[in-house]
Amino acid sequence: MYDATEKRKEVKKKLRKLEGVPTLPPIVQKLSLMIEDERVSLNQIAEVIEKDQVITTKVLRLANSAFYGFPKKVSTVNQAMMLLGLNVLKILIMTSSIFEIIHKEDIGLWEHSIGVAACAKIIAEKVNLAEPQEIATAGLLHDLGRVIQMVTFREEYEVIKKIVQQGKEPLKVEQIVLGIDHAEIGAFLMTQWNLPERLIEAVQSHHFIEQAKKYKKEAACLHLADILIHARGYGKTLEDKLPPFQPQSLKILKISLPEIKEIYYRLEPRLYELKFFTEELKKDFT
Amino acid sequence: MQRLPLSMITPGMRTFEEVIDSQGRVLCGKGVEITGEMIEKFKELGVSYITVEGTVVKLPWEKNLEEELGELEYRFSEVSEETLLQIKEIIKELLYEKFKKVSSEGR
Repeated sequence: MYDATEKRKEVKKKLRKLEGVPTLPPIVQKLSLMIEDERVSLNQIAEVIEKDQVITTKVLRLANSAFYGFPKKVSTVNQAMMLLGLNVLKILIMTSSIFEIIHKEDIGLWEHSIGVAACAKIIAEKVNLAEPQEIATAGLLHDLGRVIQMVTFREEYEVIKKIVQQGKEPLKVEQIVLGIDHAEIGAFLMTQWNLPERLIEAVQSHHFIEQAKKYKKEAACLHLADILIHARGYGKTLEDKLPPFQPQSLKILKISLPEIKEIYYRLEPRLYELKFFTEELKKDFT
Repeated sequence: MQRLPLSMITPGMRTFEEVIDSQGRVLCGKGVEITGEMIEKFKELGVSYITVEGTVVKLPWEKNLEEELGELEYRFSEVSEETLLQIKEIIKELLYEKFKKVSSEGR
C-alpha cells in the first residue's frame, strides 16, 4: 500500500537538503551578515543592494505596487528601507527569485498571493497588529509551498492537480500524495531561510489557526485574507471554490461583518491597481 | 469614469477628478483635456494614476456585472456556513454599487 508517512520523510529530506529548491540570490547571504552586524549602517546596506541593479529594480517594483499602498513613489533603496523596514526589505530580496517563478509558472497563483498580501495588510491595520508591512509579506509567501510543489515535486503536483479536478479538497489531496501540505512545506522552507518566527507560524497555520501557538492573530489574519480573496475571486489557485473556512478567525481578530465590508471597500481599488501591475509583469516575461 | 495608470493616458482624454500629486497638491482640475505636455509633467511629479471621463480603454480582464455575479455563485456553490453566506452578500452589494456608479456616469 502507498505510505504517506514514508513519502513525508522523503519530501522533508529533499527540502532539508534544498534539493531542486529554487536558489536564493547570492547577495542574500551577504546582506544577512550585514544586517546582523551592528557596526554596519543602513546606508552601507543600501549601497550593497543598489549595486545589484536587477535586485534593486525588483524590490522597488514590489515596493511601489499597490499592495503596500504608499501614496508616494518609492524611488530609492533608502526610501524603501525607511518605509518597509529592513526585515521586509530582506524578505523581498530573498524571495524575489521565488516571485519570478510564481509569475512565470502560474500567474493565477501570483495574483492570488499579492491579493492576499494587500488584504492581510488592510486587516492587520484594522485590528492594530504590529508591523502590517511584515504581515503583507507573509501574505505574499503564504502559498510558497505550492510553488515548491510545482517546481520541486513536479510529478506529484500533476497527480494532485488531477485528483483535485475530480472534486477533492486540495489540502487533503496534498496530505495523501505528499504526506505534507503546502502550508507546512512553505513554513519548513521559511525556517531554513531563517525568516522571522512570527511569519513562519502565520504561514504554517493559515488553514488551521489552532495550530498556531504564539501568533494566533497573525495566522487568523492570513486565513481571513485568503478566504476574502478567494471569495472575491481574485487570482486563481488549486482551490477554484472556497477553501475550508474557520469562523473562529473572526473571533480571534475581533472583526465584525460590517468591518469586513469596510475591508472590501478599501481592498477593491487596490485590487484594481494590482491588476495593472501583474499585467505589466506578464509583458516582461513574454 | 475610468482610473488608469499614467502609462495608458493619452492626449485628448478628459480628467474626471482633480489630479493630485503625492504631496496632495492639485496639479489639474476636473473636466480638463489632457495634453502631451501635461502627461510629461505628471510623470516628473510621480503621479501614477489618473481618473478620466468615460470608459475610454477596454481592459481585457474586466468583467461585466452578469459575469461577476455568475462566478460569485459558482465560487459559493458548496457553501452553507452562515458567516460565509453573509460575506457573499457583502460582495454582491459591492458589485451592484460598483456597476451602478459606472452606468450612472455613462448617461
